[in-house]
Amino acid sequence: MNTLGRILLVEDDPKDVELTLTALDEYHLANEVVVASDGEQALDYLYYRGKYAQRNRENPAVLLLDLKLPKIDGLEVLKQIKPDENLKLIPVVVLTSSREEKDMVASYKLGVNAYVVKPVDFHEFVDAIKQLGAFWAVINEPPPGSVRKR
Amino acid sequence: MNPSGINANESVVRPSQVSTRLTQLQGYGLAIVSVGVALGASLLLEHFHFRAAAGQLLTLAIAISAWYGGRGPAVLSLILSCVAMNYFFIEPLHTFRIATSDLPYFMIFTSFAVLVSWFSTVRRRVEQDLRQARDNLKVEVEERSSLLDLTHDSISVRNMDFILTYWNRGAEEFYGWSQKEAVGKRSEELLRTIFPQPVEQLRAELLEKDQWEGELTRTKADGTQVVVSSRWSLRRDRQDSPVAILETSNDITARKRWEEEIQGLNQELAKRSIALEASNKELEAFAYSISHDLRAPLRHMVGFAELLRKNATASLNEKSQRYLTMILEAANRMGNLIDDLLAFSQISRAEAHKSVLDLGQVVQEVVAEVRQDAKQRNITWKIDPLPACYGDRSMLRLAFVNLISNAVKFTRTRPQAEIEIGCTDQDRGDPVMFVRDNGVGFDMKYSNKLFGVFQRLHPQEAFEGTGIGLATVQRIVHRHDGRIWAESTVDGGATFYFSLPKITRS
Repeated sequence: MNTLGRILLVEDDPKDVELTLTALDEYHLANEVVVASDGEQALDYLYYRGKYAQRNRENPAVLLLDLKLPKIDGLEVLKQIKPDENLKLIPVVVLTSSREEKDMVASYKLGVNAYVVKPVDFHEFVDAIKQLGAFWAVINEPPPGSVRKR
Repeated sequence: MNPSGINANESVVRPSQVSTRLTQLQGYGLAIVSVGVALGASLLLEHFHFRAAAGQLLTLAIAISAWYGGRGPAVLSLILSCVAMNYFFIEPLHTFRIATSDLPYFMIFTSFAVLVSWFSTVRRRVEQDLRQARDNLKVEVEERSSLLDLTHDSISVRNMDFILTYWNRGAEEFYGWSQKEAVGKRSEELLRTIFPQPVEQLRAELLEKDQWEGELTRTKADGTQVVVSSRWSLRRDRQDSPVAILETSNDITARKRWEEEIQGLNQELAKRSIALEASNKELEAFAYSISHDLRAPLRHMVGFAELLRKNATASLNEKSQRYLTMILEAANRMGNLIDDLLAFSQISRAEAHKSVLDLGQVVQEVVAEVRQDAKQRNITWKIDPLPACYGDRSMLRLAFVNLISNAVKFTRTRPQAEIEIGCTDQDRGDPVMFVRDNGVGFDMKYSNKLFGVFQRLHPQEAFEGTGIGLATVQRIVHRHDGRIWAESTVDGGATFYFSLPKITRS
């Protein structure tokens, strides 16, 4: 895996990963994505632990976070990184199947920047992912210390 | 003795009292008769040579007159006695002349007679007062004890050895033991009393606080067990030592039984609400899982089918492409069903935020919104004034959105659609809202299916929909304690009614 990445996608379902990467590929952003398949891996990446111990000391430009994850779920990941001075500036977009109000409220309370319900319709899904990728990885100026493709 | 004959100076005598005092006329008669009798007896005694009895006999006559007749008859008998004495017994006999030497005798006799009659009158009055006081007391005691008999509470008195000394009629009726049977017995033996605490403790508390209150279990004369609420008060004598215990008790057996029943019901209720809460939690978990887990595979089906179509359009024939389209349509429809089902379950789970709101305004908003979507349609709207009501605004808005969109949908085949929204109040005074259309209607035969989840009365090709709209409306109306029903004929339009409780001041 490329140690240089500017989008950290935390998603346990490989099918969702593939669809997301397909969508991002339309903007040629797929190579910039690091995939973590659960909350623990995501935290390992952010804290340079385990297999990410040797990666560059830079934060991703955006964190695309599913809520329902094995081991450590999305809300728990948020609870750990938001109090952290080094990590709390990373923009976080919750990307989930859940339309549950309580999930939405809990996420915003933990300081997420956006909450996106994955549309069932593929075109809508692709549109949503493309827009997210374009906005957060291209249009948005990430906070200092983030990786950005020049 | 007739009460009207009571002397004027004894006007306080109660009517019930019997007086031995004579009327005035009888008094004077008695004076004359008694002096006559004394005189006769004296003359008779003198005839048999018993001397000097006249004075004593006449004094006796005066005393009798004073005793029974009072002051007037006493004076009369005194005068008559003096005259009789002078005429019959003092020299010269048979004249009314009085020798000077006899004057002291007369004066002593008169003084003695006056003294005797005065004593007699005073004594008589004292006796009279005593008798009256006694009678008053008796009446009072009778009244008081009859008052105690009037109450339905059981009242008893026992001495410090717990032996019953008083037993009122309430106690007789309730416990079934007569006064004769009860008085003289030990109360806890007679009634087989079960005390809530040791008797010694109870007695100590009674002596300390002068009263005790509690619930006792007792057995009536017929053997039935009762629970009574009992109050004990201690009576002390002037030396402040306890002498008796007054107990009032009343039957709380029925109340006790209700209390137990209520307690049982409450426990049952608590159990059920725990079960209900558990099933609500389950429902919530289920809805959550639908929202998460069922939507994901669906999204994948759609996603990969789309990718397949994109990548393989050139190599697929028309039929295969149509199959792909069918797969996508079906998956999208399932997505809609899941979304609607979630929204529906949300209605049941969401907390209702109720306030007083203007239904007319809600309907105006909804109609404006629906009109936007149906611009190209020819619809005549008739909107009557609607009342204010108490409810959750967003829920009631959703109910109207569903009903009005249905009206728009099912009038699609009409060149001139007519939709009326109004209010009647036929449902026991509660306002009834209705949405009426001139659309295709439905067969009343199937009206029982109208409000079921995923129930549809029209084919999907004619009128699209998931069949959850009316189920949602029904659930909203039920959450507002209202009723919902519909009237229709096939091809003759439909009217949907729902009632909401009238706003009460509370």
